[in-house]
Amino acid sequence: MSEAKIIENLKEAIIELDEVKVVEAAKNLIDQGIDPLVAIEKGLSAGMTAIGDKFNIGECFLPELIRAGNTFNAGIKVLEPEIAKSGAKQSQTGVFVLGTVTGDVHKIGKEILAMLLKTRGFVVHDLGEDVSLSTFVSKAEELNADIIGMSALLTTTMPAQKEVIEFLKEKGIRDNFRVMIGGGPVNQKWADEIGADGYAETAEEAVRLAMKLMDTK
Amino acid sequence: MLNFYEVFYRFLEGPHISEMDYDLDFDQKLRDTVTKYGIKYDPQNPIPQDDQMADNVFAAGLEFYEKIGTYCIDTLRVATFTKREILEALAEAPSEPVFGTDKDAKKLIARPPESDLPPWFFIGAAGAAVTDERVLAAIVEGYGQVPYGNSITTPSITKINGRPIIAKTPLEVLGSIRTVEVSKAALRKAGRAGMPIMNAISTATSDAAKIAGSQFGLNPADGIMVGSMSELKMDFQRLNEVAYALHCGSNIVAESGPLLGGYCGGPEGLAVANVAYHLQSILVQRGTVHFTFPIHFKFSSNTSRNTLWSTSISNQGISRNSKFPLLTSGILASGPGTEMSFYENAARTITTCVSGGGILALGLAKNVQTDHLTPWDPKFSVEIALSTLGMKRQDANEIVKELLSKYESKIPEAPIGKRFQELFDMETLEPGNEYRELYYKMKDEMKTYGLKFAT
Repeated sequence: MSEAKIIENLKEAIIELDEVKVVEAAKNLIDQGIDPLVAIEKGLSAGMTAIGDKFNIGECFLPELIRAGNTFNAGIKVLEPEIAKSGAKQSQTGVFVLGTVTGDVHKIGKEILAMLLKTRGFVVHDLGEDVSLSTFVSKAEELNADIIGMSALLTTTMPAQKEVIEFLKEKGIRDNFRVMIGGGPVNQKWADEIGADGYAETAEEAVRLAMKLMDTK
Repeated sequence: MLNFYEVFYRFLEGPHISEMDYDLDFDQKLRDTVTKYGIKYDPQNPIPQDDQMADNVFAAGLEFYEKIGTYCIDTLRVATFTKREILEALAEAPSEPVFGTDKDAKKLIARPPESDLPPWFFIGAAGAAVTDERVLAAIVEGYGQVPYGNSITTPSITKINGRPIIAKTPLEVLGSIRTVEVSKAALRKAGRAGMPIMNAISTATSDAAKIAGSQFGLNPADGIMVGSMSELKMDFQRLNEVAYALHCGSNIVAESGPLLGGYCGGPEGLAVANVAYHLQSILVQRGTVHFTFPIHFKFSSNTSRNTLWSTSISNQGISRNSKFPLLTSGILASGPGTEMSFYENAARTITTCVSGGGILALGLAKNVQTDHLTPWDPKFSVEIALSTLGMKRQDANEIVKELLSKYESKIPEAPIGKRFQELFDMETLEPGNEYRELYYKMKDEMKTYGLKFAT
C-alpha cells in the first residue's frame, strides 16, 4: 500500500470514527517506515479538521467530535513510541486551559469548544465545571498554558471571570497567558471591562480567536 | 409511583459509570432508539401532521429513558427505572394541579394537539437578566397586566445595593429574597395578588439561595422551579430543592433544556430526549408540571426550523400520551422592538399551541441581554395563541413556513433590539410610539397570513 493511501486511511478512520481502522492504519504505517509526524499532520490532524468542518456546517454534532477525538487518541497511542524513538517533537497549535467558572455547572458548550480546539491542533486541558479561581491559575501555571478560557452562563457567575484576571494581575503573571471569555450573557463590552484578551459568542468564533491570539504570543 | 426517597436511594446505590461514558452511552442509545422507531426529520414540514410518528416519538422516549436513566454527578451513579415503574409514574402523575391563590387560582390541565382550549399562559422571560429591583418591579407589574396571563416567571436581578450579585455568596441569598419580595408587591400593584410565580428565584444558582428566597412570600400554590442538568443529569443541590419543595407541599415546576447539537444530536434525538425529560420530570424532579425549552446549540434560541420540528413532534407525542401537563418556552434569537422578533414569536407560538401543551412567553435576544424584555412581547404571544385555537396542524404548518421565510436566514446575525427602558415608559408601563406602531403593524401583517384576532 502506498504512503499516500495509508495516510488517507488514517484520515478516513477519523472521519468514520473507526478506532479499529485507525490502529490498523497506524501499525501499517510503522511497518512501512513512514514518518509518523507526517502521518499525524496529513492523516490524523487532517481528519480532525474535516470533522470540525462538518460540525461547523451542522453535518455532525458533539458526540461525533468526541468519538473523533477518541479515534485520534487511539492512533496517537500507536505512533507515540515511534515518535519518541526518533526524538522528534509533535507540533501543536497551543496549550489551552478551559473551564466553567465557580458557581456555574454548564458544560456542553464548553465541551463543544474543547473538541473544536482539538480539531485545530490545540492541546486542551478541560478543568470541568464550577472551577475555582485558584484551580484556573494553578493549572495554567502548571501546564504552561498559552490560553486560559473561562465560560460563564449566568449573570451571577460572570464576576468570577473578572476575579481570575485580577488574581493573575496581582500575582504578576497576567502577561504569561492570553485570556478568553465566553458564555450566554458575556459580551465584548464585559471582556473590555475586565481586561480579557478576547470574547467569542460561538465555539467556532472562539477557535478562530484562539488561533489569532496564538499569533500574538 | 416510587416515592422520592426510593428514587434518591438509586442515586446512592445504582451502578457507577464515568460521566463521559454516560454521555456517550446516552448518544449511542438515543441513536439506536431513533433508528429503531424510524423517526425522521422533515424540514419541509416544521409542524408534522403524522399522529403515528408522534406516538412513535413518545414510545421511543419511554424506551430510551428506561435504558438510560438519570445520572447523578455527585455519586457518579445512574438511577434507572423499569418500564412498569415509568408507566406507573405516568399514570399517577399530577393531571390537574392548581396554581395560584384566591381569584387567580386555576387548574393547569394537559392540552392535546389542535385543541380549542386556550393554553396555559406562563408569562415572562425565564431567567433573563434585569439591572436591578427598579426594572424588576416594573417588568413584573407589566407581566401581571398581560391579558389572560395565568402565571409568571421573574427575571434575575444582576445588582443589589448597587453591586453585582455573585453566585454562591450572601449577595445571591439577598438577591433571591428581594426578587420574591419585589415581585409579590409588583403583582399586588397589578391587581393580581394571587397570580402564581412559577419561577420566583431565577437569581438563585444554589439550593440555599433558592430555599432562602422562598421563605419571603412564596406559598405552595406558587411553584419552585427545579431544573435538570443537560442531559438527564441531577446533582444533590437540585435533589435538595426537590426534598424541600415536597416537604412544604409546594408545586414543583420541573425544568429541562435539551440541546440540539449536543449529546441529543440532531432534531430527531432532541425530540426523543424531550420525551425522556418529561418522564424524568415526574419520577426524579417530582414535578407538578413539566416545563421544557429544547434549544439550538449554536443559535441559543429555539425558532430555527429544526428546533420547531422537534418541539412540535415531541409536544404532539407527549400531549397525545400523557396527562401530566407540559409547558414549552420560546426563546427568540432577536430582541425587543425588532420586526424579526414578531415573526419568530408568531412562528414559535403557533407551533407550540397547535402541537399541544401550554406556553411560556417569552425569552428575547437569546435570553442573555440585560433588560431586553418587555410585557408586550408575551402579550403578542397571547394574541397569536388565541388566534390558533382549534387550528389544524396542516394550516398552522403553512403559516409557520411563511413566517420562517421572513427570519430564518437572519438567525445567525439576529438584531438584539432595545432595552425595556428605551422602548417603554417605566412609570406608566406604556410603550413608546416606536414600539406601539411596530406592534400594531406586525399584528396587521399577521392577519394577512390568515390569523384572526378578537380586536
